[in-house]
Amino acid sequence: MSDFDGSLIGEAFHLLLFSVGGICFGVDTGQVAEIAVYKGEICEDVFWFHEEMGYAGKMVTYQSPVIVTIKTGTASPYRVIIDAMEDIAEFSQSDISLFPSMLEPFVLRKGLWGLLSQRERIVLLLDFLRLQRNNHLNY
Amino acid sequence: MEQSEELLKSELILNELKKRQKTKEVVDVEEERIKVVFFVCGENRYAFYGTDIREILPASDISWVPGLPEYLPGLINVRGDIESVIDLHFFLGEEKPDQEKHLIAMAVRGDFHSGVIIDGIEDVIDIPVSAIAPPLATLNGAARDLVIGSIEYDAKTISLLDVGKLANLITI
Repeated sequence: MSDFDGSLIGEAFHLLLFSVGGICFGVDTGQVAEIAVYKGEICEDVFWFHEEMGYAGKMVTYQSPVIVTIKTGTASPYRVIIDAMEDIAEFSQSDISLFPSMLEPFVLRKGLWGLLSQRERIVLLLDFLRLQRNNHLNY
Repeated sequence: MEQSEELLKSELILNELKKRQKTKEVVDVEEERIKVVFFVCGENRYAFYGTDIREILPASDISWVPGLPEYLPGLINVRGDIESVIDLHFFLGEEKPDQEKHLIAMAVRGDFHSGVIIDGIEDVIDIPVSAIAPPLATLNGAARDLVIGSIEYDAKTISLLDVGKLANLITI
């Protein structure tokens, strides 16, 4: 279940901002259990972000990869390698825009649920738990 | 009695003028005009109803979003509003545009609003509604699903595309 339920409406929340392949994402820090530098180790239960998101045909190079461990509420954490971690910033609900309704059915499948317009760039808000659930259903 | 029914010359003229005015009104109704936007997409020219196009934006960065199909290349920021972008070339079977040279037409119809990638604007003119003929029967492929009529312009037949049909094609 997502952390963004009715009880959070109107409250400020903190987002972990990062970029992969030049695309900027924001994740609620409440979903993050741990962040660790990725040193090239090979682990079966760690997923590359661009593969999880389906960067079909796009060349992606990681400059400063880190592993984020997502709280799943189960014994198995969800661990994903992301890149270019920038900042943890505070936002309020009023900063968030919805995706254009035409795109929503597509983006929700990838766990993307909202947008922030920040310094002339667009930040895609990602719910890692929704992404994990959707990817799991697809397999 | 007979004399009273005889119309005065002024009355005759007045009646004639009124008849002419009525005829003119009928002609005016028949000559209702509508604005159309002629544009280039790939190798061909097409048209939209002018009422469906809010503005034309210069080439701008389109933010790619994971998970979108090929015909939805991403998002644009229009003065703080985030808008989707549709690649019309995909539906018309035209070659993909040059990323730096394309334009974006902001299409609006009811609740539907989206940027539409085109290659250039040819003209914006008022034409009589009667100048819009049914779509060419020879049209095929995806373009047929978008065309609402055809217009003779500059000695060529231009397909008039319907933004409503475009919205229906994309809405799941």
